[in-house]
Amino acid sequence: MSLYLLTVAVLLLIAPLLLGVIKALKMWLLFKRPLSLLQGYRDVAKLLHKENVVSEEASLITRVAPFLILSPLLIVLFFLPPAVQGAWYVSFVDAFTLTGLMALSTFFLMLLGLDSASSFGGIGASREAFIAALAEPAMVLTIFAVSMMAGDLGVGQAGVNLASRFPEKHMASYLFAAISFFILLIAENGRIPVDNPETHLELTMVHEAMILDIGGVWLAIVETAAAVKFVIFASLFASLFLPFGYGLAWPLALALFVGKLFGVALAVALVEVNTAKLRLFKVPNLLGIAIVFAFLSLITFYVLGA
Amino acid sequence: MVDLLIGIFLATLITALFTARLYRLLMWYSLNSLSLGLLALTIGRAQHDGAMIISGLITLLLKAGAIPWILKRLSQRFGLVRQITPNIRIQYAIMLVPAILVFTFYLAEPISHMVEGNANYVAISISSLFLALLLMMEHNNIAPKIVGFLSMENALFLLGTTATGGMPMLVELGIFFDLLMAIVVINLLMRREEMENSGEAGA
Repeated sequence: MSLYLLTVAVLLLIAPLLLGVIKALKMWLLFKRPLSLLQGYRDVAKLLHKENVVSEEASLITRVAPFLILSPLLIVLFFLPPAVQGAWYVSFVDAFTLTGLMALSTFFLMLLGLDSASSFGGIGASREAFIAALAEPAMVLTIFAVSMMAGDLGVGQAGVNLASRFPEKHMASYLFAAISFFILLIAENGRIPVDNPETHLELTMVHEAMILDIGGVWLAIVETAAAVKFVIFASLFASLFLPFGYGLAWPLALALFVGKLFGVALAVALVEVNTAKLRLFKVPNLLGIAIVFAFLSLITFYVLGA
Repeated sequence: MVDLLIGIFLATLITALFTARLYRLLMWYSLNSLSLGLLALTIGRAQHDGAMIISGLITLLLKAGAIPWILKRLSQRFGLVRQITPNIRIQYAIMLVPAILVFTFYLAEPISHMVEGNANYVAISISSLFLALLLMMEHNNIAPKIVGFLSMENALFLLGTTATGGMPMLVELGIFFDLLMAIVVINLLMRREEMENSGEAGA
């Protein structure tokens, strides 16, 4: 029990740090002076002191939505596969539940964008709906395929099974699922080929456009939700596709797990530096590739058995 | 290990299908050949087959290194179009690719009992043959057609290594020489296309 809670607490604590690491790595790779790794925490601390200003047009939704954006993600955090052996985990939660909870969070984010009645919010919400509608089927398929390879539909149990018995016979379909999941990780978190988290240019904004009109504590909550979402995806990637080092003594295993999360952050930073942002109408091509690989993963597993 | 390399082979081929830039396409072809060469080395080492190790090394040198480099040089020299948009729209390609994979599985089923070892590798090789054909079909420009042709040769090599446990050395060397000849012919072809282009520009 204590290990379970400790893992969740660690994940929650390093969430802003991970996004900060990506940003610092990118700046370092572009020969800029990197910003402090603690900037994420400082931003949250700064926002907590500010007052909440709301648009005149805003309804009750704006006041409620930030909490409803964060809370499904916090629930997902408790359903993740365990990072260390002997920790508790929830074994029965499957791909549909995880995807559904994250879609619920996205749904309230879109409502928040629409509710401020500014044109930017509408743009952002429609784009987010466009991307999410393509990303979610791929996500269900991918997690489903991996759970089939692991021999259990529950994601938590699948992570444990993968750690104890690696699917060497199904390497081809496993690789396809990994490719698909990495594309989804980038798309769902609004990283560069899909959305640029650092600009406020109206042509490129997706996530930023929706949260342009809120401030103060609510903005802090929404930013935390974005960080938590990245941690969820990174730790799903780490426990489903990098399932080694699970059986070590728990401090070592936890440290290794956190190291894997930073490895995922490094990979995302490298992708971000090396690619240009896609035009919005080219994003379906990228997500189409993710869907193809998710399909292929299931097909090669079922039909070819490879 | 073999499964992983075959997975990388198929994954790079599928990604090449969706690529719209020439140099990116050459990179995917190079990675495709790299996984193929490593696969030949792995199988050759497992079976203590010196001939297969040699052909794996030649694959690594020639197909993963030299041919993409030569093609890049040629396309630079002749100023080929680098933006290659596939003719088949992505919505249809998404449905086509898995359909090809399932179709080839049933296509390969009657002959699977003739193959020693894993019969699924035959299905995957034939499906990558079809995917390479699709790569040739979906482009109008000459350069991606060449890459499709070369990928088709890769798929045949994959079939040879995984299904038969090593073709005779002579056959493999013959294929490599064919490939080099093909590159020479392609050079002539590109020269001709350049002449036509410059003729149009002059007129």
